[in-house]
Order: sequence, then C-alpha cells, then structure tokens
Amino acid sequence: MKLSARQICFFLAAVAPAGKLVLMPSQLVAQTANDLLLPVALQILAQSALVFAVLLLARNGRTVYGMLSDMVGGFFAKAACVLFAAFLLFAAFVPLVEQKILVQSIFYDTLPSYVAFAPFFLFAAYLCAKPLASLGRVWDMLAPLFLVGILGVLLLSVGNADFGALLPVGAAGAGGFGRGVAYTAGWFFDAALLLPLVGKFPYRKGLAWKGALCYLGGGILLLFFLAVYYGIFAEIAVTQLFAFAHMSKYFSGITAMGRIDYLFIFAIAFVMAFYTAMPVQAAVDALTDAFGHRRVLAPTLSTAFNAALLALMLAFNFVPSATVSAITQRAFWIFPVFAAGAPLLLLALSPVLNKRRERHAR
Amino acid sequence: MKNVNEKLDATAAAMKKLLPAQDILQFSFSDGTGRQYVCFFADAITDKDLLGEQVFRPLMEYRGEARAKEIAAHVTAPEVRTERALGKLAAEVLAGNPVLLWDGMDEGLIAGTKKVPARAVSEPPTDVAIKGPREGFVEDVKLNTALVRKRLKTGELKIEFLTVGRRSQTAVAVCWLEGTSVQSAVDGVKEKLSAIDIDNVPDSSYLARFLSDRPYSLVKQVGTTEKPDIFCAKIAEGRVGVIADGSPIALTLPYMLVEDFQSSEDYFVPAARATFTRFLRLFALLVAIYLPAFYIASQLFKLQLLPVKLLLTIAGSIQDIPLSPSLEMLLVLLVLEVLNEASIRMPKYVGMALSVVGALVLGETAVSAGFVSTPAIIIVAFSGIGLYAVPNLIEETSVLRLAMLLVAGSVGTYGILLLSGFVLIYLVSTENYGVPLAAPFAPLTRRDLRDALLKYNLASLKTRPAALGSPNRRRQK
Repeated sequence: MKLSARQICFFLAAVAPAGKLVLMPSQLVAQTANDLLLPVALQILAQSALVFAVLLLARNGRTVYGMLSDMVGGFFAKAACVLFAAFLLFAAFVPLVEQKILVQSIFYDTLPSYVAFAPFFLFAAYLCAKPLASLGRVWDMLAPLFLVGILGVLLLSVGNADFGALLPVGAAGAGGFGRGVAYTAGWFFDAALLLPLVGKFPYRKGLAWKGALCYLGGGILLLFFLAVYYGIFAEIAVTQLFAFAHMSKYFSGITAMGRIDYLFIFAIAFVMAFYTAMPVQAAVDALTDAFGHRRVLAPTLSTAFNAALLALMLAFNFVPSATVSAITQRAFWIFPVFAAGAPLLLLALSPVLNKRRERHAR
Repeated sequence: MKNVNEKLDATAAAMKKLLPAQDILQFSFSDGTGRQYVCFFADAITDKDLLGEQVFRPLMEYRGEARAKEIAAHVTAPEVRTERALGKLAAEVLAGNPVLLWDGMDEGLIAGTKKVPARAVSEPPTDVAIKGPREGFVEDVKLNTALVRKRLKTGELKIEFLTVGRRSQTAVAVCWLEGTSVQSAVDGVKEKLSAIDIDNVPDSSYLARFLSDRPYSLVKQVGTTEKPDIFCAKIAEGRVGVIADGSPIALTLPYMLVEDFQSSEDYFVPAARATFTRFLRLFALLVAIYLPAFYIASQLFKLQLLPVKLLLTIAGSIQDIPLSPSLEMLLVLLVLEVLNEASIRMPKYVGMALSVVGALVLGETAVSAGFVSTPAIIIVAFSGIGLYAVPNLIEETSVLRLAMLLVAGSVGTYGILLLSGFVLIYLVSTENYGVPLAAPFAPLTRRDLRDALLKYNLASLKTRPAALGSPNRRRQK
C-alpha cells in the first residue's frame, strides 16, 4: 500500500484545515456577520459524514476506477474519472487564487511582480508527479508543523479576542445562514480529494470513524480559529482578508521582539502551499488510475495541468477577488454535486458491485 | 601460462613476467634435500623478519616430500594457503603476501606475512568525544576489522572481504550481524560492490557513490564514521558496514538523515542533555541554512521580519555599501568558503597568519572600507559556526545555504518557502535499500522517535529502529 491509515488521518486533521484560513473567514463574515460559526460547523459535520462514507468505500481495497469499471465498464469509468478530474481542476482554482493573493500580501512589503507567484507551479508540478508514498510522508511532516503554526498563532492572539462579539447567535437569520453554507461550499470538498486515494491505503477496522473524527477535530480547531478571528476584529472582520497573518501581531511581545509570529505564519503558509497543490494531485491520480502508465502519465499531466493553471492565473491576474466570488458565490452548487454526490453514489452502488463480484467469483 | 607448472624455472619466469616491477623481489634457496624454492615478495610491504623466521628457516631444514600440504604444515606462519592460478598468486604478492614456488609441485604457497605501513590508532579529528571511546579507524582494513571484532565478540559478526578496483585491487570488508542485519541489504551491498568496475579506489567515498541508490543525489545516501564504537553500534542496530583499505572512514547502510544529528556522546550522557544537544544541532543547522537567506529576504522584500530598532541599526550600517544586499552576502559567504578551504589545506604554522588575515584584514578592514556591512559579517559568521554543529552534513548544507540565498535574493521569503518545500519532497521521496531517508519522521515511526531527535533513557530503547526492518527487533530485555 502506498499510503497508511495514519497519513490519511493526519491529512484530515491537520492539513485540510490549512486551506480554509485565507479568504473564507472574511467571505463568511460578509454573509453571516457574527454567526460565522454555524455554517462552518454544518459544513464540517457534512464533510465528516462524507469522509466517513469515502473511507467506508476503501473497505474492499479497490480503487474508485476499479469499482466504476466493475459497475459500468471501462469506457464509462474512464469518462467518469475524466469528469471528476475536471471538477478537481476547477476546485483547484480557489485555493490557487487565495495562495496568489496571500503571497503578494504577506510575503512582500514591496509591490511584487505579478509573476512572483509563478514558481509555485514549478513546486506543484514536482509534487504532483511524485508517487503517493511521498505525499503520505509529506503529510507526516506537515501535520505537526500545521499544529505548531496554528496553535502558535492562536496562543498569541487569543488574549486579544472578545468572544462576546460572537453574540447574539442567530442574528444573521435563516437567509444569512443559508448563504453562509452555500458560499463556503467552495472550500469544503476534502472528501472529494480523498476519493482518488481510495484503494491505496489499507482499511483497518474503525478507520472510517477515526477519519471522520480526525476531520471533526481539525474542524473544531478551525471553528476556534474563526471565533478568535471574529473576537479580535468584530465588525471590521469582513475587511481582514488574511486574518491568520494579522491577528497575532497585536501580541504585546511583538513590539520588543519583532514579528516572531511570522515563524508560525510561515509554518501555516508552508502547509497551505502543499494543500493548494492537492486538487491537482488528486486529478492526476484519478486520471493515472483510469489510464495507467503512471510513470509517464503523472509527470506529463502534472506539468500540463500546472502550466494550464499558471496561464489561467495570469489571465485572471487583475480580477482575483472577482474570480473567487464567481466560483464560490455563483458556481457553488458544483461542489456538493461532486464532493458529496460522487462518494454517496458510489456508496449506494457498492452493494450492487459486491453482488456482481460474488457472482463472478462463483 | 595460467597455472603453476611443476617446472620451477618456467613458473618463476612466468611470475616475473607478471610482476616486472623493481620492488618485487625474488629470493631463491634450497631445502635439506637440495630441492629448489623461489619466493616472490613485495619489498616494502612484506615483513621480511617474519618471512625469514617462519618460512625460510623451517624450510631450509626440511627433508620431506615436495607435496604442498606437508610443506604448508612445516612452515610456522599462521596464515598459509595454496593456489594454482598465477594471476591470483601475483595479486597476493602485490598485496604484501609472499608466494613460495618449488620444484616438482603445481601449486604455490601463500604466506600471510604482510606488513603494510600503517598509522597508529588515534582519536579521529572529525569526531572528537569528551566522553566515550576515543579510538578511530586507520587506513589499514585488517586493523580496522580488528577494532570491530574487538567490540563485537560474536560469531554472528560476519566479515566478508571483496576486492574492488581493477588496478588498486583494494580490499573491502563488508561487515554485518547475521540474523540482525536485513539480508536484502547485505546482498545488495555485496552485489553493488562486485559490480564496481573502476581503476582505482583511493577512499571509501568512491564506494559510497556506487552504493547509493541515487548516485547523483545532492544529499548523502550512505552513513560515514571514523569511530569503531559508532560503526559497531550501527551494525548492532541492523545496518551493514563497509570498510575500505586505505580509508579511515567506514560506511554504514542503510542511511537515515537523523543519524547525523546523533553523536556517540549522546549515549554516554544523561538522556535530557542528549535531547537538548540534538535539538541544538538541528537549530544550528537551520540557522546555518536559513539565516543569511532570511536576512537578505527581509532587507529586500519583507522588512517587517526585523524588529524596528534592529532594522534601523541595519539600515544605518548598509546605507553606504555599494553592493546590493544579496551580492554583499554572496561575497562574504564566498570569502568564508575560501578561508575555510584554505585553512584546512594550509600548513598549521601558516594557519595562524591566515586567521589574522581572515579576521582582521578581510573582516575589519572590509567593513571600515565600506565594502561590506557589519551585520552581513555577523550573519555569515553565525551561519558558518552553525554549519559545523553537524559536521557530516557540511557539503549538503553549504550548497543548500547558497541555493536559499540565491532564491531569497530573487524571489524573497516565498522563494525560501517553496525551495524548502522542494527539499522536503525530495527528502521524503528518497530511499536507500528500502529505508526512507527521512525516517522515523516520514514515514512516522512512533517507536523510533525515542532515539531520533528525542533521546530516551537507554533502558527504554528496547528495540532496534523499526525503519531498518531488522529481523531481530529486540536488543534488550
């Protein structure tokens, strides 16, 4: 097996939350104000359930492509994998834009060239071409790093947070809550990222529960982060686009020691860079599962996808926020269709598959 | 002629043809029956006293049959064997073992009276210990294997000699513990050593390239040590050791990066102290790699990284410097590397003068002349010192430091972050003999963390590192 169950849990608990710290908090506040925790809590619960479902699919040790080809034949299975890879590349766009804006805002005091972000695609192409075993090992290293980073930031910021700002609960109303849930869908598709990994890690008893609980644990950390974020910025939270890079600077020791919090911020940004490349990695995996020849296809696809995404990023360079808004506020429905629909459909069809396999075995 | 002939003259002539060098001597004598003998030996590497005492004297009084078995029994040298092939006999002569040929026999006798000039066992300069054994390997493979055997007095310790190098015919000892080392690693090492086809093997570092799964890797793939105690400890953990004749540096495989953060002394001091020093080494290494890069990135792209007062001090000291921050730092680093290179190779009595020139002329004067700023020199000095906290990784870290500096000067902190990402992916993807280079951190092996950066008490280290996959997991009850 290429990955271990522990590495999957590490990804769910301490890598996946890294992708939700940049633009999502401020977008959420724009819709729900102080009620930002409720929609995210619902998303986390839903994703935990989906993670549970995806991990259940891993019980029979087959890849998603393998399952699909048993159900509907090779041609349709390949078509489904291509469609799913297209979704993942679409989903990669939001994290990429976020990463780009983040880089230009927190890594430079001066005005950087608009291609300063370009080396990221070189990094992503390298990462996506690597075998899955390397990805799992990277998660082994990233998980503690993210925890150190986020806990460091939270520790330095929590003293300045006024949690009273989160009250009264329910002020945004059902409409605000609904918009909060819908508009954050673009950031919650982690179960879909796991789908191409199914069949590549050993399923042990209770893994589905463990995975769901790990995701829930990471989600609780995210909720605490959002609470501290709103507790610090309150009404102006909506303007704080990269809160995780700002909220700790009000710590009293910073004046004397300089921005020591950057150590934690860079740790989070480091993990975030890997998470940003994750949808492309998943797309490459889905396609190499379907078409084989991983040794040749993985580097080729990885290079091609990253080059295409770089070209798109340059094309949309001057309208990054509008791009994110378009994806998360207009095309948000695409995310649940794939991120929730695909695993649930597969889970629902798995009894059919099992029956067919039993029949073949006989 | 390929084999020894019963006619001594013909065999001796063939041997002389194979060994035409002037330092290969030929000594003829006869025994009590008047039978003629010819001995071939290399002048400077044969113990002539021992040869006379243990071979010539007993044979001059010998009156028995010409059979090899009886003659071998008559000489008193403890290491005696026979061989028919002339080529192999010639190789033995070149290795320092005299070869004896006599009339009426189609075999030659090899007497193990080699006496290779060797340095005495002393403390290795690169691995000095305050506590613990001070012995170091020398250039003689036999002496080195003796130092290993002295510490591992078990029949399970296997030492197999191979010959590598077409012309150097270097003896290479492969050492492992039967039942503890992973057999696939042992076989892999022997296979790779046998496949080497090179003229000359002057040092074990030559072998390290061939033993690596990734020979072109920037990161070392093979563990090195000059100390027999460390070598034995690694073999006892399940690794395979390689000692090459002519080199005081022994190799151990499979290698994990964490090994270089551990020193032999860590096992002789309290666990808390060992843990502290290991973290200190890691910190020093990170400082060595990242400090110059972050200094440059903070000046060029991200001023907020520095506290305001420090920023003002730096701004004051760099305002009249004609070079850009990255060029300035590159220049100072280059000077440090040159000084380092020169100080290693210069005679000791010139070394003092070099220090004065380096510290005063280049440092002080360059600052007062306004070529470089004081902070740049402080940063480079700090980085230079940090580099030596993990001496076995100097080659890798100095290259990485330079790469980080170049990236910091061109892309800034984001470049440093991405390059670190590249390095991380590279490190976790690299395996040697099936053992991940970044183990036990990636993949995470919880039990092995007890002796990685953390150092548990010796009583807690009951099992061998799981990452090595030893078939004999338990090392103490």
